Amino acid sequence: MRETERKADSSEEEKVQGGQRELEERVLRTGFCTGCGACVNLCPYQASYRDRTVILHHCDLAQGRCFAFCPRTPADLTDMKSRFYDEADLTHELGAVKGFFIARAAQEGNRRRSQHGGVVTALMTLALREGLIDAAVLTEKGEELLPRAVTVSEPEAAAQLGGSRFVVSPTVAEFNRALRTDCRRIGVVATPCQALAIAKMRLQPLAAAESGMDRLKLVVGLFCGWALSWRPLTDILREKTDLAAVIGMDIPPSRYHTLEVYMPEETARFSLDEITPCVRESCRSCADMTAEFSDLSVGSARLPEGWEAARLWNQVIVRTKRGRDLLELARRRGVLEFREVPAGNLEKLKAASLNKKKAANRPQGQSGAGDRMGQAG
Amino acid sequence: MSMDRGQREGDEVLLMGNEAIARGALEAGVQVAAGYPGTPSSEIIETLSRFAETGKLYVEWSTNEKVAMETAAAASFAGLRSLCVMKQNGVNVASDFLLHLAGSGTRAGMILITCDDPGALSSVNEGESRHFARLMEIPLLEPADFQEAKEMTRWAFTLSEEIRNIVMVRSVTRMSHASGNVILGALPPAVRKAEFLCDGAVSDPERGPVISAPVIEKHRLQQEKIRKAAAIFEKSPFNAYSGPERPELLIITSSACRLYSLEAVSLLDAEDRVGILKLGTTWPLPPALLKRVLSTTEKILIVEEVLPFLEEQVKILAAEQVREIGVKTFYGKNDGALPMAGELNPDLAMAAVGRILGIDPPVLSSAYRKKLRAFAGLAPRREQTFCPGCPHRASYWSIREALQRDGRGGFVCGDIGCYAMASLFPAAGFYTAKTLHAMGSGTGLASGFGKLGSFGMDQPIIAVCGDSTFYHAAIPALINAVHQNANIIFIALDNNGTAMTGFQSHPGIDINAMGDASPVVDIAALCGAIGAKVVVGDPFALQETRETLNRLMEGQQGVKVLILKQSCALSPEKKGTKRYLMQVDDALCRGDACGCNRLCTRIFRCPGLLWNREKKKAQIDEVICAGCGVCAGICPAEAIRCEEAAKS
Amino acid sequence: MTNLALRKDPYNIVITGVGGQGNVMASRVLATMLVRRGFRVTIGETFGMSQRGGSVMSHIRVSSAAVWSPQIPKGRADLLVALEPVEAIRVLADYGNPSVKSLVNMRPIYPVGVITGEADYPAPETIRKAVAALSETACFLDATAEAIRLGNPIWGNIIMIGAVARLGVLPVNRELFAAVIREGMPASRVEANLRAFAIGEAAVA
Repeated sequence: MRETERKADSSEEEKVQGGQRELEERVLRTGFCTGCGACVNLCPYQASYRDRTVILHHCDLAQGRCFAFCPRTPADLTDMKSRFYDEADLTHELGAVKGFFIARAAQEGNRRRSQHGGVVTALMTLALREGLIDAAVLTEKGEELLPRAVTVSEPEAAAQLGGSRFVVSPTVAEFNRALRTDCRRIGVVATPCQALAIAKMRLQPLAAAESGMDRLKLVVGLFCGWALSWRPLTDILREKTDLAAVIGMDIPPSRYHTLEVYMPEETARFSLDEITPCVRESCRSCADMTAEFSDLSVGSARLPEGWEAARLWNQVIVRTKRGRDLLELARRRGVLEFREVPAGNLEKLKAASLNKKKAANRPQGQSGAGDRMGQAG
Repeated sequence: MSMDRGQREGDEVLLMGNEAIARGALEAGVQVAAGYPGTPSSEIIETLSRFAETGKLYVEWSTNEKVAMETAAAASFAGLRSLCVMKQNGVNVASDFLLHLAGSGTRAGMILITCDDPGALSSVNEGESRHFARLMEIPLLEPADFQEAKEMTRWAFTLSEEIRNIVMVRSVTRMSHASGNVILGALPPAVRKAEFLCDGAVSDPERGPVISAPVIEKHRLQQEKIRKAAAIFEKSPFNAYSGPERPELLIITSSACRLYSLEAVSLLDAEDRVGILKLGTTWPLPPALLKRVLSTTEKILIVEEVLPFLEEQVKILAAEQVREIGVKTFYGKNDGALPMAGELNPDLAMAAVGRILGIDPPVLSSAYRKKLRAFAGLAPRREQTFCPGCPHRASYWSIREALQRDGRGGFVCGDIGCYAMASLFPAAGFYTAKTLHAMGSGTGLASGFGKLGSFGMDQPIIAVCGDSTFYHAAIPALINAVHQNANIIFIALDNNGTAMTGFQSHPGIDINAMGDASPVVDIAALCGAIGAKVVVGDPFALQETRETLNRLMEGQQGVKVLILKQSCALSPEKKGTKRYLMQVDDALCRGDACGCNRLCTRIFRCPGLLWNREKKKAQIDEVICAGCGVCAGICPAEAIRCEEAAKS
Repeated sequence: MTNLALRKDPYNIVITGVGGQGNVMASRVLATMLVRRGFRVTIGETFGMSQRGGSVMSHIRVSSAAVWSPQIPKGRADLLVALEPVEAIRVLADYGNPSVKSLVNMRPIYPVGVITGEADYPAPETIRKAVAALSETACFLDATAEAIRLGNPIWGNIIMIGAVARLGVLPVNRELFAAVIREGMPASRVEANLRAFAIGEAAVA
């Protein structure tokens, strides 16, 4: 959101392993915690509460999965990308791009429930229906703007769970929990930080033996500019709305500079000047707008016809073969409909993504040439 | 092995100091006894309750010390000998009434027994009740051994009737909780009938109303009484000098310190150099006696515990009589001969006497001291903690987890009871309790904290309070919190008894001190009636308790009451029985690996759990485990198993 | 046994253990027996917080003539009865001297710090070595194990009293114990206590 001075860190020797103490010192106390839940449901020491990750008791292990999985602890992102993606697909701005599309759910019902084009909901429902996955880790609306991470196995249930959330849910905590159940094929809808945590889990030798990460079959990423902190957000919203009655929220293109809060009878509007201070501290350190560690990523579209038309569509970045296969299946089954990508859309997305990377006040030790974009030092 | 009805006049038996005091009261014909439990005083009422009998002796555990004193005073006004019992800080609670009672005077003999705790062996203060005698202008007696504890208590009733005012008898932990030989006296056969004669004039001490007004007139009368007491004390056998006619050093002492002084002098082999004036009547001091004894020497050491109470009185008398007795050198607290905080013992007394007389105390051989050094530090520290099966461990576990989840820096205001250990030994309450003061003060402090929201304070505020403490002093604070709309959570840790001091009855229990059926004052109903929102839960249901707490923290402004009910593990109905047989499944236990890291033995810390270093697994210590089953609920691997124990 | 004189006056006994081990009960029983023998006995106890896992220590002073302080001076114990092994070491550090006789129940009750791994509990051999070095005579029993065999670990304290009687340093015996226990206890518990006492006697060869 704002340009922040970056600490010169290239010369620092980075500690790449740690336990709860390092997690607390480097992530939780510094405001880098994304609330993704990667350190939760592994042990009894951390928990997700509201949209925060909290330490319940002190753990004195020198090394722990909590630290290893955290998307804000040191990692060589370039190396990670080269392990997961085709070298030829990798871009500086958006990570791997195997394809770029504008699509939407063919069924209007899906679109209505969802934020924009309903692509995520349609894809997850399809993946469950076709047996590509037998469990989907999703986010449901929850209460009082506090979304809840859930695992569903019925396509009908997945179809009900569209819509963007402005407050994070501990999706990775739910994924950790799902790994302890007998689900065999798990799909996850993840924000960029959550997708990074899951990618780190796939690479951890500590976890490999017992975690069963091979059961992860699909990661659908979500474009994400930032999330809001629940407590300050609700303190503001409570002044004009009944939280229990809120059915959705959106931010129209930036010229309106407004957060719209939808209720059955009315829409409340809040200036972004009021809302911006509620942005999670950790989002200011995020350099990933498009969930680069996913099979495919989905976000809002831009169209020459303007916002009213664009809000009915999604932009989709396909990153892996698995992502491409799913999108093609959706096309064949008529679950999604596509339209031509307007000229310059990919470049605009790249520019936006690059802006986020430049603005990010990244945690120490998290680097990769591709992500630094000449900003190092 | 303790005092019972089978013992007869003339029997020599082993009695605890508190039992000896109770026996003295019985031999004096006490008919009404009331107190509030508090270590080291509780055994006095407990002993008397065994002798309770309709129409002869009424005994009660009152809701607090002030009420106990009022109960006893009523009996005195109605012509019955009575006593009230409390620990040192209990006198503070009763002191407002005591001030007025000392002004109004009493009728039948009435005594206040206070048991102080120098060294704070079982207190969170080292309060000195002796000063109340001077402050309230009432006589003070201090027994120095077990026989004397009985005799002095009996005589205190006589003194009270002679001066028509309350008499204070002060014991200390090392008297009350020590035991020794006592020869029993006779129990009086006759009992008096109760009637409050109040149809006379204000000035009529026999039949008038009992009030402290007209104040100046009554105050003068009260001071006359204390002068009369001083005159009586001049001839009291409870004051005695032993030692050479002209000692090199005079020790003036009282209470348990007399035994320390005797031992010190004996250890130093200084019997022919040191004299000991043992005082049993320590306020007001008998001036003529003091003058006589002070005249025999130049050097005076006052051996007493905590504050220089005797020392100051003696110095005042010596200053007043300096022309006759000459200039003296005083040793005691003010010159640092003895410490002003903590309890004394024979070694401290010996060191002080040795320094003054230039005698080196005897020491162990250097060979033995060398061996001692070789084995120093071998014994690991034994930190106090909640008992196995204690509901407080479970309650604080849930409180900790709820506060950590909430994340706004919430804290617990502690109070007096076993659960106070959460403030004293942080690990006992998982670092949740942050204040600890007088009984009921946790609630009062919370009420105050709960009004600081308008100054930007958004930390959740929790007061904890035991069931007995609730009735004692939390109710006014809770009513205040409700009335002021303070934003607090009040948790009653209801373990069904006054557990800390030995399961004395209280208004929430359906029997009284004498074992008779009694109406119950229900905590939930009372909280509801004053307008608080009340939830009742079981502390052993960890998740439910934690969720309730988090809900209450997010809830509406005002006072939210959570009553966590589960009997103490040592309560008569639970002690020695196990609800569950616990077992650790080695195959599931994650031990110290990532994913557990010994949560049960490292964090939960129940003494019933052990860490087996060889196997690197938790295990149950079957001798210690109380079978409450709570640890099964915290194990992340479900490795701790509960099996319903067979009813024995 | 026939000699009613004390080896020393006052004769100083420390009974130590951990809250819940029946320390207070043991000292009362022993002291009551000695009062029956005509001695003046003082017991000093610290049990305010005893039920909460702390160390509990009773001082018993036995004299033919006088009442003695409820606290034994440092370095002046004549007999140590420890219901728990490291408590023996703790007491010897303060009250030990070259002529103290020690009687130690070897069943440990681990302090919380040991359970949590913050502190080490010495090995039984180390404890034996330390107690033996700091005592004139040392005798080690497994009273808790014997008590469990008898049906309840709590009888460990009475087993230790039986052992004290057998040491022969105090004029107490089984008959005296039986008389005291019959007066002070419900009839249902007398038999088990007598059996525990006998086990203790037998344990000291």
